[in-house]
Amino acid sequence: MQSAVMKPALALYTTLFLVFLYAPFAILAILSFQTGPEGGPQFPIIEWSSYWYQHLFGLAPPSRVAPLPIGESLFRSMTLAFMTMIVSTVLGVMSAQAFRSRFKGSGIVFYLIVLGMMVPGVLVGLGMALVANFFGIDRHWWSTAFVLHVVYTFPFAFLVMLAIFNRFDKSVEEASWSLGVSPARTFRKVTFPLIFPGVLSAMLFAFTLSYDEFSRTLFASGRDLTLPLAIYGTFAVEIHPNVFAFGVLTTLFSFALLGVYAILMSLSVRRARRIAIQEE
Amino acid sequence: MQPLLTLNGIERRYGDVAALDGVSFSVAPGAYVALLGPSGSGKTTLLRVIAGFEQPDAGHVVFDGRRIRDIPTHRRGIGIVFQNFALFPHLTVEKNVSFGLLNRESETNMDRRAIDAKVRDMIALVGLKGLESRDMHQISGGQRQRVALARTLVTEPRLVLLDEPLGALDANLRARMRDELRSLHDRLGVTFLHVTGSEAEALAMGDTIIVLDRGRIAQVDLAESIYNHPASPQVARLLNCYNLFEGAVEGREFVSSVGRFPLDGARAPGRPGKASAYAIRHDRIAVRPVDRPISPDEAGLAATFVASEYSGSSVLSFFATAGGQVIEVEDHLSLREPPNYAQKQGYALAWEPRDALVFA
Amino acid sequence: MVATRDESEMTTTTTTIAAENAHVDPPPRNNGARVAYWLIAPGVVWMGLFLVLPMLMIVYVSFWTQTTFKIEPILTTKSWVTFFASDTYLGALGTTVRIWLTVLATTLLVGYPSALFVGLFVKNKTIQTVLLTLCVIPFWTSFLIRVLAWRPMLGKEGAINLILMKFGIITQPIEALLFSDLSVVIGMTQIYCVFMVGPIAFMLARIDPNIIEAARDLGAGFWRIFRTIILPLSMPGVVVGAIFVSVMVLGEFATSAALSGRKVNLLGNIIVTQVGSLKWAFAAVAGVILTIVIGAVVAGLLRIVDLRNEL
Repeated sequence: MQSAVMKPALALYTTLFLVFLYAPFAILAILSFQTGPEGGPQFPIIEWSSYWYQHLFGLAPPSRVAPLPIGESLFRSMTLAFMTMIVSTVLGVMSAQAFRSRFKGSGIVFYLIVLGMMVPGVLVGLGMALVANFFGIDRHWWSTAFVLHVVYTFPFAFLVMLAIFNRFDKSVEEASWSLGVSPARTFRKVTFPLIFPGVLSAMLFAFTLSYDEFSRTLFASGRDLTLPLAIYGTFAVEIHPNVFAFGVLTTLFSFALLGVYAILMSLSVRRARRIAIQEE
Repeated sequence: MQPLLTLNGIERRYGDVAALDGVSFSVAPGAYVALLGPSGSGKTTLLRVIAGFEQPDAGHVVFDGRRIRDIPTHRRGIGIVFQNFALFPHLTVEKNVSFGLLNRESETNMDRRAIDAKVRDMIALVGLKGLESRDMHQISGGQRQRVALARTLVTEPRLVLLDEPLGALDANLRARMRDELRSLHDRLGVTFLHVTGSEAEALAMGDTIIVLDRGRIAQVDLAESIYNHPASPQVARLLNCYNLFEGAVEGREFVSSVGRFPLDGARAPGRPGKASAYAIRHDRIAVRPVDRPISPDEAGLAATFVASEYSGSSVLSFFATAGGQVIEVEDHLSLREPPNYAQKQGYALAWEPRDALVFA
Repeated sequence: MVATRDESEMTTTTTTIAAENAHVDPPPRNNGARVAYWLIAPGVVWMGLFLVLPMLMIVYVSFWTQTTFKIEPILTTKSWVTFFASDTYLGALGTTVRIWLTVLATTLLVGYPSALFVGLFVKNKTIQTVLLTLCVIPFWTSFLIRVLAWRPMLGKEGAINLILMKFGIITQPIEALLFSDLSVVIGMTQIYCVFMVGPIAFMLARIDPNIIEAARDLGAGFWRIFRTIILPLSMPGVVVGAIFVSVMVLGEFATSAALSGRKVNLLGNIIVTQVGSLKWAFAAVAGVILTIVIGAVVAGLLRIVDLRNEL
């Protein structure tokens, strides 16, 4: 292999690739500091200011640019993501646990679950809206949209837990049974603490996917907007740098979430040691 | 005395392969039984069937007078010590040991102080005092082995299954743990079924030895009898202390590719003409210079010295016949002077015909 | 000592015991499977009610009768006829396939060399992880924000035009950058190429370096090694990546809505606008067709490589 030529060439290519991935976001972040309300979402920067951030929080004086309806939609999105996270993680753990023993029809069930992440949101969204109409059910973010969010995130939680159980040493469970401990209690006292890092990952997946999900929510959520729907609403009208400022903030929030996840992960690793010291 | 555990015609198949092919034996209460088998003989499967992790395809397990097929593991009262120890990695030494008592289904009325006292005693008994709050990754292999034992023994099972319990330890530790296991058994009066692939371990530890070969019982007997009278060439090979020759009985002689051996006095001489095997134990062979030939009332052959291997109390020497078959000779250092054979030198290997075993 | 006879004796006794046993005991309970069914049931019911039922509903409603503002459950193929008679709808189908093929090609073109570098050329595991993490980080930004971020990049007064003019490469801003096929393809490529890089890099990282070393010792040049070893071994990754990208691009409507100024209409956009004007039956027809297209594409991709043997 002519590594001497290939390697630097590919390294350069990969660097350009990363620039391609990050450049739009950098531009967006820069433009979010455009002056307001007269500055538009383009270069040049007339004057650096935090106007659009103030505008976002309703701190800027009223202007012709309507504020983004983020307050309530943020609350809804967080609640929805939280509900989705809990339900799809529980379903994911249960299903993955079921797949540890061979049962008839497991092949079909596997594909049925994975289908949930493969079918485009616009299709299930449409289908759900039709089902709701057919049965005369009102569509709400907390009902019809919520069940679709779970349909979408449950497969991810399932696959994460499946991978965790694949590497799980079954003999510790068998050891627990042989000590006279029932399978249910064994799961609670042995299995669950040991798979907990995996459960955290499944929860993180479910939360972020649900928090950002909008194509399913679009048809299934009725009148009240979730956060992504509020952003989607700005597509149709003229965009202002307040959307950019908002993008910067949501990204920071996502990183904060990642940080919390990282902290929880390292805590759960260290927990055993800490308990040992405390209870000595 | 009624046996504590009886296995009756246990069969277990994986697809077309029979891991257990009609295994029957029983274990008396309080016994130390060693289950010896090479890898792939089905010994781990057998343990898993007894423990209730797997169901036999046929046959039944009777424990304490009851058939236990439909009784789940946690209600069987059978403890198991795994080869990899299977300790709870998220718990300390003390929590590992107290886990069974605190969480088991029966006897939940045992009060906390009684449990604590019991756990303390058990930790002291296995020599883990002072390590109670250590994590599993903070203790050595031997200490893990003790935690695994203590965790099982503290729940007072009627029967303890040990799945190659010393396999994960280094040689030094293995010898020490052998003695400790034996003395724990004798002190607590629990029944042990100890599975191992090592003939030395089985012979050293078991009162009774069950030899398992390709999913079938090859022999059940006292340790000494097995050592002196293996029931088949397979068992003799497994014991790893016999030289085996294939051949046939012709008249008063056993004819093999390495020579003809007189059968006078040999045990269990086979019927003439039938294909059979001839076995002579490593430590029953005398090594002599070639100029002292084998007398007519002796059996023997000529071979060239290859190498020696020292192992504590004995020396194992390897000789090769002209046909390339390797003959092993063991010299116990307490009985003979340490041998000093010359490399590539020819020797006469001789033994008494009555020390040989002939299998039909 | 007649061991063989002993053995045969033992087997005969045990077989009689086993046969006897079969009469006495009921078949053993398969506890594991029973518990498994209880554990899997909620998930299966959930997917049945909220995934399979809605999909069947789409098929059903596509045969309903559409009036101006509502649908009635009178079965008809009228909506289907309308769909195939309409240039707009067929055009959307064509656009969807065109955009999908283009994005599939661009994500592969953009992603493969990067995956090759990360998976095969970077030997250090830490750097490998860092590079892959760098690829994934944008995912923690809202999808919609990432789409929107292309507007100030591609616009007439956007960053790209500005930079190109500054370096004197162009004198007039390129207007075709935004609100065109091109902007949709660029946006989708950036958003979805990670799904191509990941699986390919994963498969490449599994290649035993000794194989490549051996091939090089035999005097094979890079292209030969690439063609005969690297490419075939990375194919499962390409297929998995292609499935991800295809499913997502075919179901898209937001990127085209945001970056094409409604000039590029995919089947997804058709569904959104039809639902917006309460034309449920038409939306359902578009939905069924989209489902068929996606199913065919995935089935076709799975034919290239049997994933069960490869992964």
